[in-house]
Amino acid sequence: MTQFPMIAVTAFGILTTIGAYALSLLARQRYSSPMTTPVLFSTIVIIAVLLSAGISFSDYKPARDLITTMLGPATVALAVPLYKNREAFLRHLVPAGVGLLVGSLGTMIAAALTARLFNFSPELVSSIAIKSATVPIAVEIAKIVHANPPLTALFVVTTGMIGASFGPWLMDRTGITRPVARGLALGTISHGQGTAQAATENELCGAVAGVAMGLGAMCTSLAAPWIVPLFV
Amino acid sequence: MRRASERIASFAKISLGHSVSVDRPSEAAQRVARFAHMIPPIILQLAGLSALNAAGVWIVAETALPIPGNLIGMVALYALLALGVVKLCWIETTGSFLIKHLAFFFVPITVGLMDAGSLFAAHGLSIVVVLVASAGFGILLAGWTSQCLIGKPRYPEGKP
Repeated sequence: MTQFPMIAVTAFGILTTIGAYALSLLARQRYSSPMTTPVLFSTIVIIAVLLSAGISFSDYKPARDLITTMLGPATVALAVPLYKNREAFLRHLVPAGVGLLVGSLGTMIAAALTARLFNFSPELVSSIAIKSATVPIAVEIAKIVHANPPLTALFVVTTGMIGASFGPWLMDRTGITRPVARGLALGTISHGQGTAQAATENELCGAVAGVAMGLGAMCTSLAAPWIVPLFV
Repeated sequence: MRRASERIASFAKISLGHSVSVDRPSEAAQRVARFAHMIPPIILQLAGLSALNAAGVWIVAETALPIPGNLIGMVALYALLALGVVKLCWIETTGSFLIKHLAFFFVPITVGLMDAGSLFAAHGLSIVVVLVASAGFGILLAGWTSQCLIGKPRYPEGKP
């Protein structure tokens, strides 16, 4: 895209992103399915638009960087649902806390172990092990455990998509019916997308998921520097 | 025409959250005015959240703690709310909006999949197996453990 100034390409990238996201919200309202998950749907739309406009990913990078600067403040804002729903969460503190710890450590070990069995490179093993923390935190943990931040982000969002679309299906079939348990599992494993999915089920479920997303990420960031090196 | 205006109204509801009433779609102009009124507080709240984030990043840089800076910002905000230094209403509009649209902020990161073709060509299926297996395992583990420990449900199913 040398014929257009970079600022125009960047503006186009931002507008495309906003448009694709808005479209995904409308699509999800009309046809709710795993395929209309905002991240999956928007990503497909944006890649299609960029490719057909002849824009490469490196041309899109300034737009990406501008949008992702908001991830930091957005993570800080997670304290808001944490604080608002502290009573609902404190009532089930012990079961939720144990479930959170077991879930986030379990998924980390399972991912690292299976990745190791497939003979992935150390960088790939580290990147895949920390995939259940929410993106802004995961990319920071990635630097600490010598993982690849963009790759980690990729695994995080893929995990979010998998958990948010198939998690409720899986829990329906395994008798996990209580809102607190469902919200906890979705938030712990599938962070933001899991929380969004949990909120559509029930308010308590969504609140617990929001708290679990924050605490699960904290749990992963504290445990990863000790657990990840065991598998690399 | 009515259907279209309802759709726009429901879209406004999705994107703006509870901050805007959409009971009567014909009041579009009023809603726009109310939204314009919210812009200054949103900017202030955003500045506050960014400042906390920057403070967290700075603390991590100074102390070399193995914790992400934004997580420190989050804990700090929680502490400020719990101590009553910051009122929930000061930060709630922007906080809830950002969390509602958290997905938007990581969409650009997944667009990076564009360049991940070679990685998936080399490891595609095994990566998907690892991700699906570990996510399913974690969900079952977290869900089962907490459900078994909770015991009898205190809430009827499907009700908050």
